[in-house]
Amino acid sequence: MAKTILIVDDSASLRQVVSIALKSAGYEVIEASDGKDALGKLTGQKVHLIISDVNMPNMDGITLVKEVKKLPNYKFTPIIMLTTESQEGKKQEGQAAGAKAWVVKPFQPAQMLAAVSKLVLP
Amino acid sequence: MNLDEALQTFIVESRELLQDLEQALLRMEDEAPTADTINAMFRAAHTIKGSAGLFGLDDIVSFTHGVESVLDRVRGGELLLDGELASLFLSCCDHMGALVDQVVSGSDGDAELAAAGNALTARLKAYLGGPEAQPQPQAKVPQQREQKLEASGGGEVETDSWHISLRFGRDVLRNGMDPLSFIRYLGTLGKVVSLSTLTEAIPAAAEMDPESCYLGFEIRFKSDADKAAIEGVFEFVREDSEIHILSPRAKISEYVELIRALPEEDLRLGEILVKCGSLTPAELEQALRLQSGAPPGAGEAGGRQIGDILVDEGVVHPPVVEAALAKQKQTKDSKASEGQFIRVDAEKLDHLINLVGEMVIAGAGANLAAQRAGAAELLEATSTLSRLVEEVRDSALQLRMVQIAATFNRFQRVVRDVSRELGKDIGLSISGGETELDKTVVEKIGDPLMHLVRNSMDHGIEPSDVRVSRGKPAKGTVSLNAYHDSGGIVIEVADDGGGLKREKILQKALEKGLVAPGQSLTDREIHQLILEPGFSTAEQVTNLSGRGVGMDVVKRNITALRGTIDLDSEEGVGMTIRIRLPLTLAIIDGFLVGVCDSSFVVPLDMVVECVELTEAERRAARDNSYINLRGEVLPFLRLRELFELPGQPGRRENIVVVRYGGQKAGLVVDRLMGEFQTVIKPLGALFSNIRGIGGSTILGSGEVALILDVPGLLQQVVSREAHSKAPAGGGLVHAKG
Amino acid sequence: MVTIERDKDVCRLSIDGEMTIYTAAELKGKLLPALQGCTEAELDLSRVAEMDTAGLQLLVLLKREAAAAGGRFRFVSHSKDVLEVLDLCNMVGAFGDPVVISSTAG
Repeated sequence: MAKTILIVDDSASLRQVVSIALKSAGYEVIEASDGKDALGKLTGQKVHLIISDVNMPNMDGITLVKEVKKLPNYKFTPIIMLTTESQEGKKQEGQAAGAKAWVVKPFQPAQMLAAVSKLVLP
Repeated sequence: MNLDEALQTFIVESRELLQDLEQALLRMEDEAPTADTINAMFRAAHTIKGSAGLFGLDDIVSFTHGVESVLDRVRGGELLLDGELASLFLSCCDHMGALVDQVVSGSDGDAELAAAGNALTARLKAYLGGPEAQPQPQAKVPQQREQKLEASGGGEVETDSWHISLRFGRDVLRNGMDPLSFIRYLGTLGKVVSLSTLTEAIPAAAEMDPESCYLGFEIRFKSDADKAAIEGVFEFVREDSEIHILSPRAKISEYVELIRALPEEDLRLGEILVKCGSLTPAELEQALRLQSGAPPGAGEAGGRQIGDILVDEGVVHPPVVEAALAKQKQTKDSKASEGQFIRVDAEKLDHLINLVGEMVIAGAGANLAAQRAGAAELLEATSTLSRLVEEVRDSALQLRMVQIAATFNRFQRVVRDVSRELGKDIGLSISGGETELDKTVVEKIGDPLMHLVRNSMDHGIEPSDVRVSRGKPAKGTVSLNAYHDSGGIVIEVADDGGGLKREKILQKALEKGLVAPGQSLTDREIHQLILEPGFSTAEQVTNLSGRGVGMDVVKRNITALRGTIDLDSEEGVGMTIRIRLPLTLAIIDGFLVGVCDSSFVVPLDMVVECVELTEAERRAARDNSYINLRGEVLPFLRLRELFELPGQPGRRENIVVVRYGGQKAGLVVDRLMGEFQTVIKPLGALFSNIRGIGGSTILGSGEVALILDVPGLLQQVVSREAHSKAPAGGGLVHAKG
Repeated sequence: MVTIERDKDVCRLSIDGEMTIYTAAELKGKLLPALQGCTEAELDLSRVAEMDTAGLQLLVLLKREAAAAGGRFRFVSHSKDVLEVLDLCNMVGAFGDPVVISSTAG
């Protein structure tokens, strides 16, 4: 059974590219546009890995990580934070909240695929 | 990987974000930005940069990086967003827009654009107070530390493989990091020649926490990958795990250091290394001898290299930021409703609407067949179907409806920039932004509106001194308004300027030969003259309007959308230009009428009533082109004559009263055939010049019916009435209500 | 999830579901007590759908505890997912239980 990845970012084009890259590698991908949307998508299906941006409207990435860590079915699920070089502080905040993996924006699709593959193979 | 579609999304998305950014900046002129606004602005830049990177659009990435960095400082309270900085950001918005346009056109780096970008970047840097590193287009790969190994205590080991020692941190599993996944991934970079799992660290049952990780691994790994790549595999766990990577042909002393560093008993570890094949028994013996013989620190020369590849232990804990996090603002519930949208490819929607159109036709066919068959049950079923089809149609069309607010808001910037350019003080007032209309219409309305707004600012609004002398406020106002009216949308562009000067227009029209000398024209007709080709009233040509592109182009564009344009003007008070557009271009509810053997469709929303002509009226109507409708003079057109259809009128004739844009007229037909839902099929190029016909459709019976262009017909009536000797009290009838 | 059948001193256990960090605590709590007092036990792994490091550690722990108590404890009918992990970690030999290599296992 293919592993399912949830990509959370407010940029539709970013989600689209990541989704294309991951699907071509054999993952199932679902998308959410912000933290709130993501929490909604986590119920009723099994997600093996979450990729989340830090800066999003409605519910930002750090809050999302904290909320995910409270969910019995997802508290041990790996989370990749999308950070930027100028936001070292956010990366640390994310790690403190429990998102230990990260990819620095801007990134190439192959870099994202590599990061995901380290944590979950398709 | 085909990213074309995603690139389109990126283009649309960036433009939207830039527009939002611009709006936010413009709003600041009136009120101080809230933290939310600044956050949203930062996010816009952040998102554009992040997405651009995915497509390798390095120009956009590096430029936006500067904007993002400055915005980050504003967000952090280090910088004040004053007017000057806002202006700079606006210019940056324009530049980003130009960069996106460059992506669209697929053109290569434009030197001028690049220079403009550099200039802006330099100005941004001034706000960063110090050299700001430009980001690498690609994320940085950790620097590979290739250092020369100095020979010390023993030669190289024989193996040509890497040796990797892993002792995972207790918390890795809880953090979602599964060591097995890293090992599987390692397998994709090369070949795991051998692997030993170390389980000694698992404590006794009582103390063993099943969610903690106690495992260690010794791996002999054959790969052409470089050290950075292998280190990269364990990137996410290196902060709380102990990872040692020995390169092929490492010094025996490095192994000595490894054995010393690892927690297991030396001999046991040595055996494992031999079992892995990383060390030969002889090498192990040598290593252990060195280990025990030499005092600690003797292996330092070799040890330093190991030290380098030891991933820092102990620097794990990031500063505790709980306090800061607690302060993080709770997301307001009111904002939850925004963003609940799905982005759908417009083409898919068009396809859906096409299908619905076909369904409407098929439904009509089924209805007709049921009527012929006269089966009650079937009739009931088809009528239910028709109702559902109607609902599906409405919902499908609704999908394409967008608010006009986004289009209107774009003019904030236009008005701001143009008023500066003209040296006039002009404000924009917007109302009716929530009015919805078809996306295809919205897309095409931007240019005409731009022209009208600029025209109002340029020619309509007087200079401040003139305004003051006329007793008006010094600040001029251009207003945009939209509302729904009889099945269409009306968009108004109004100004409180000088209005049209009747005499000047007339004189110019005479000069240009647009009107004949001595021709008597109403004020309204004179005003409409400015919409004629080749008419321009500007006394002095500025760089805004009067560039030879006149109001006639606007009129042509609106007509192409099956819309009409007219204007009200009062000298010294102002002018209002009113554009009427259909809500959608795809489907209409029609009223089917018959003349001779032909069928015509009148858009239902323009039908006011249907009246049967009495014998007396028919006789009266024979000589006149109008009838008396309950005391009102109603001009009419005979479709039979208009389209030169054969045959004589039957014993009965009907008149369909239609109304559009404040004008009313009658259409004389033979038969009334009832309401009918219809899909507009454009006429071929061959028929596009036929006046009075707007399109065609297929009836359920398979016959073709022509859709009447009511605005066009009314136009004909109006011009006929204006130029024939109008009867007393005649002319056209202005509809009431 | 865990089925326990006792037949005199022989205890037959089986796990149905995943052996991961999400289930490790619960499995430890059920399996360890079940092993007590058994001179002979076997754990049926045929219905283990997924296994991670936490699951592997648990197997190691069970084996070690059983051996310390002097009993005989085997893993039987390894599922495909279990075998993949044991193979990856080179643990088939360490556990010493016969495994059936079958392409349809699991």
